[in-house]
Amino acid sequence: MRAWLPSLLRAALLAFLLAFLVSPGWFEPLLKPLVQDNAPAIYNQGSLLTLTLLHLRTVAIATIAAIVIAVTLAILVTRPFGAEFLPLSRSLVNVGQTFPPVAVLALAVPALGFGEKPTLVALFLYGLLPIFENTLTGLTTLPPSVMEAARGAGMTDRQRLFKVEVPLAMPVILAGIRLSVVISLATATIGSTVAAKTLGEVIIAGLQSNNIAFVLQGGLIVGALAVLIYDGLSAIEAAMARRAGL
Amino acid sequence: MIEIDGITKRYDGTAVVDNVTMTIAPRTVTVIVGTSGSGKTTLLRMINRLVEPSAGAIRLDGDDNRSMPGYELRRRIGYAIQGHGLFPHRTVAQNIATVPVLLGWDKARIDAKVAELLALFQLDPAIFAARFPHELSGGQQQRVGVARALAAEPKVLLMDEPFGALDPIIRAKAQADLLDIQKLLKTTIVLVTHDMDEAFHLADKIAVMDKGELVQYGTPAELVTNPATEFVQTLIGASERPFRLLSIETAGQAVEPGTADGQPVDAATSQRDVLSELLWTGRDALPVAAADGTLLGKVTLEGLARRAARPQ
Repeated sequence: MRAWLPSLLRAALLAFLLAFLVSPGWFEPLLKPLVQDNAPAIYNQGSLLTLTLLHLRTVAIATIAAIVIAVTLAILVTRPFGAEFLPLSRSLVNVGQTFPPVAVLALAVPALGFGEKPTLVALFLYGLLPIFENTLTGLTTLPPSVMEAARGAGMTDRQRLFKVEVPLAMPVILAGIRLSVVISLATATIGSTVAAKTLGEVIIAGLQSNNIAFVLQGGLIVGALAVLIYDGLSAIEAAMARRAGL
Repeated sequence: MIEIDGITKRYDGTAVVDNVTMTIAPRTVTVIVGTSGSGKTTLLRMINRLVEPSAGAIRLDGDDNRSMPGYELRRRIGYAIQGHGLFPHRTVAQNIATVPVLLGWDKARIDAKVAELLALFQLDPAIFAARFPHELSGGQQQRVGVARALAAEPKVLLMDEPFGALDPIIRAKAQADLLDIQKLLKTTIVLVTHDMDEAFHLADKIAVMDKGELVQYGTPAELVTNPATEFVQTLIGASERPFRLLSIETAGQAVEPGTADGQPVDAATSQRDVLSELLWTGRDALPVAAADGTLLGKVTLEGLARRAARPQ
């Protein structure tokens, strides 16, 4: 296969996605065969574009919070003074991952009310583990000779962390973030069960009115977003790894 | 001057370095040799406090090395290690600039220093400054590692098996370059190795470590002619003794008046290499020339044999 083919396919997917979001009407004939007579083929209870942007915003907020907490935690437990907290923080983060997001939603609604907030909590907890584990791996598998040279050159602990350890671990950390983003993109849809404005709304509306076209378009938009964001982050990661000579 | 005074390092009650006292003269090359686990690397790492001693003190030009924070001390002392330890995410120029940047030099001074060192290590700045370490050969990486250690013009350079990862041909070149640079910059070098050939080639003085103790500290000739213990003798190798003696001095130091036929050897060649050349070509004598080509005299087989014999 030619090298430019994947890029071409991605560009086509992006163009298709944008066209669908800006002007879904164009695609009505494609979806029409999936619905019963008189039922709408294109989601008609709100703008798909607005929902997509809100969906992305929810994922972005939750992921940024997860990055800040998970990376900070991983840095702290890899310092000499934090080493004893490693098992504890590992368990905590693991609990976040094992606890089903639906259960988190159910528990968070009484405290935070309906809407975006419980969804953010669920996505945040769910997204911690991959970022934490990858940051941990990245920071603990650095080449010993490089670390020795950094100390020998007279870098302070802080300088070693920010000038050597984090930059070298960055490709691995990014891989964790990528994983977390993709999981969150899919999981965010269930936020609509507690009235968060996400693409889940489209899917839920489709399920309630037995409208396969709605379910399909909600799912496909989420899928396309996930593929494009995954590829984009992979490309950044590869570029950084190449630069670092890893 | 580095004064090591009763320095001891214990791990869980076991002394890895046991009450070592030695004084390293400024502007000399001191090589610490010993088997693995002899404590030679630990001793070296206590000089720049990568390892903190359990007892004793180390003074640099009279100042206790604990009179300033460890990281500040390490910025003043060059440190080069086996496998170079270059930062893979930084260019050659950025790697060399590591310590000057930490010391807050201005950019013009850093750039000038980087260019000077690259030239000194025979790396064209136009080609190499912007490269990343993984784009260099092993020998080039090693040179950049030493250049980085020398960037802040340290008076003392510590080297932990710096040539251990190089193949023999590049290693010989790296050793010769190091001696040239040491003569030029007048740096005090303390180098750890387990390679006795390397030790005899480089050292003004050799320190032999065995099981954490300093068993002998003297010139290479002293070690050969008067080994303090069985261990030192084994390390030197009994059958190697005459050749070790010859490897210490250069052809220039064995010159006799007169002339001989054939291609002149350089005065800086070791006597051991001249002997080898004489034996291989079946001659009795070879002319010796200075670096500029002027003939100094000859070196004879007989003269070398006399020099290789046990001193009476």
